[in-house]
Amino acid sequence: MTSYAKIADLAGYLPPTILDNEELAALYPSWTASKIFEKTGIRTRHVAAPDETAGDLAYQAARALFARGTISAADVDFVILCTQAPDYVLPTTACLLQDRLGISTGAGALDVNLGCSGFVYCLSLAKGLVESGSARCVLVLTADTYSKYIHPLDKSVRTLFGDAAAATAVVACEAGQAPIGPFVFGTDGSGANNLIVEAGAARTPRSAATALEHTDESGNVRSRDNLYMAGAKILSFSLNEVPRAAAALMDKTGTSTETIDYFVLHQANRFMLDALRKKLKVSEAQLPIHVEECGNTVSSTIPLTLAAMRDEGCFDTEKKLMLIGFGVGYSWAACLLNF
Amino acid sequence: MTKFYEGMAEIFEVEPADITPQFELSNASADWDSLAIVSTIALVDDCFNVTLDGEALAACTTIGDIEALVAKAGKE
Repeated sequence: MTSYAKIADLAGYLPPTILDNEELAALYPSWTASKIFEKTGIRTRHVAAPDETAGDLAYQAARALFARGTISAADVDFVILCTQAPDYVLPTTACLLQDRLGISTGAGALDVNLGCSGFVYCLSLAKGLVESGSARCVLVLTADTYSKYIHPLDKSVRTLFGDAAAATAVVACEAGQAPIGPFVFGTDGSGANNLIVEAGAARTPRSAATALEHTDESGNVRSRDNLYMAGAKILSFSLNEVPRAAAALMDKTGTSTETIDYFVLHQANRFMLDALRKKLKVSEAQLPIHVEECGNTVSSTIPLTLAAMRDEGCFDTEKKLMLIGFGVGYSWAACLLNF
Repeated sequence: MTKFYEGMAEIFEVEPADITPQFELSNASADWDSLAIVSTIALVDDCFNVTLDGEALAACTTIGDIEALVAKAGKE
């Protein structure tokens, strides 16, 4: 028997404030609440409070994980936080969480700056730490507060994104084969401008000029301080790269779509997932959609979906999964998971 | 073209019979907006296995223009 990494447990956290389709429809005269639901599959999104950061959400998710009793703060010897909304420019938010969560000062901690692909990347890092013998219990936290980047009158993104966090325990286990992996990765930085918050970091500091608002041809309002998504380009990217990544992973592992119980994809929105399901040629039962209550929660969509499926009993017997994260960067990754 | 016309009718919330090559994409009841364009990219991908460019699609004014774009993309 060899020591491998496995997901021991996971938990999520959604901030209590809810943004529903009725409230959005009142802001966007051309859209009704039912049209928003029909197109996105989303009924509500949860929104962080003004003084609540991604670090706060990650803290709550970690507490929810510890409350389940599978692992405790004392077990954790490495913290990885995936976020694109750190508490500070510096220091690293994962370092703050080590202290807040009462994790040993003997633990490593680092942030990963990735969005919708981030969970799969963090799993690969956690696996590497565990299987190299560098750590025994990695706390993988994913947390984002895109709502703070979104202009209230930009329906192209405000209808889709919700704030959330998830906490995943990746621990060492003795097993005949690796429960996590293999992986395939992909990056295409030429798509950087198609999903971006341009101002606020070193390249373009925030200024009066970056805060100037403009209205686009679809009637959406935003400034360079806000999140911008070129929806058509993101869809084209996803339709091209996600099936290619799935095929590359199946090729690498000698698996086929029939042998995968569930394809747990980044939960962008129902429309995107329906389009990808048709491309991947898999059944509706094989491709779970978990966006109705929380929308697109960036790097937390995959662990939140896994937690919801676990609670529904999907994993009462072990299943073979393919996880695929894809989005901002462009960045994407896929892996197999026995769970 | 039937599946494509049915899909376009759904996007524009009209009867399938209303969709013809002359159908105006920006009309009294609908905008040829980013959501309609994104929906059309997914539809064309599903019907013809062709991924259209959003900007080229945005420049289309009729269903016939989209069909011409699909035909051109299919040859490339």
